[in-house]
Amino acid sequence: MNTLSKTLGFLVTVAATFAACAAAATLAVASTSLSAGNAAVTSCGVSSLTATRNVNNSGNVTQVNVGGIPTACSGETLSVALVSSANASLGSGTATIGSCTTTCSATITSFGATVAATSLAKYSFSVTGT
Amino acid sequence: MRRFHLTPRRIAFVVAATLGFGTAAGFAATLTVGSWHLWAGSQTLTKATCPTLSGTTSTTDTYVVQATPTTSFGSSTTMLVKSNSGSQDWSFVRFDLSSCGIPTTGGADSATLTLYVTTAPGTSRTLTVTPVLSTWSGTLTWNTAQTLTYGSSATTTIVTGTTTGAKTATVTVDVDSLIKNPSANYGWRISDSGSGNATTTFATAENGTASHQPQLSINYEK
Repeated sequence: MNTLSKTLGFLVTVAATFAACAAAATLAVASTSLSAGNAAVTSCGVSSLTATRNVNNSGNVTQVNVGGIPTACSGETLSVALVSSANASLGSGTATIGSCTTTCSATITSFGATVAATSLAKYSFSVTGT
Repeated sequence: MRRFHLTPRRIAFVVAATLGFGTAAGFAATLTVGSWHLWAGSQTLTKATCPTLSGTTSTTDTYVVQATPTTSFGSSTTMLVKSNSGSQDWSFVRFDLSSCGIPTTGGADSATLTLYVTTAPGTSRTLTVTPVLSTWSGTLTWNTAQTLTYGSSATTTIVTGTTTGAKTATVTVDVDSLIKNPSANYGWRISDSGSGNATTTFATAENGTASHQPQLSINYEK
């Protein structure tokens, strides 16, 4: 009986340990996998995006305008990172893609940092949503 | 009661069963992520410099005189900016950007207007550079200048100093707008709203010394 109690206690401990491992594994997978190997992740029809930007008289970016977004993306979230020639992020921002009839557009006006247009070499985009 | 012995074989079974359950639970949790839309991409920009714009081919400039409100000075080799209230002079300058070949999807990274002072005022003046929002030509007069539309605020200022030489003004925000909307290219008015009676004289595109002519330098992206 004593041995059985010890054994059951051990099993409970082992189960709890692996339950914790399972939770940890879930977090790790969920935070990194997204599209990897999962056919259920699709886009809303975007094949490419292009942006224009406005500057103030000091040459700093004041807003980024993204057009030509498919209507299926309406309501989803557009994220834009402003990237330097060294591939470093200079700033980033997000906007919700509004409702639209033909193609959608979105404007981002806050990047979390002052970004000089002369340093801007690339836009990186992502569109996410349910 | 039958006694239960914890053997290595039994321990291995328990570990395998528990690990399998835990792993299955992990994957089950990630399936909810599969209902999301996701797309990512990028756009690389190209940097370039427009050859400096100057000369009569790419520049239109003139000045208007309040004291002679119907006279135009489009062919003058100099242009004046005068502060005297009730007897002001304004200068106007604009550039044709078409030779740069900048697409309307591009934008200015930096733009600098350079004017050459041929006769400096006795005391340094701070001149106002204001965007012009409606069309004008070398036949502009003081009276017709009153009918033009101007930007609600100045783009920048030019401090003249008291000696001759080149003076620069940053006009990036205006050139960025001109790139995106080339048909609205009406340049700038240079005026002196300060007190007193002072005159600053600049060289125009018709000036015989090429290096003294108004210039516009543009660095851009496309």
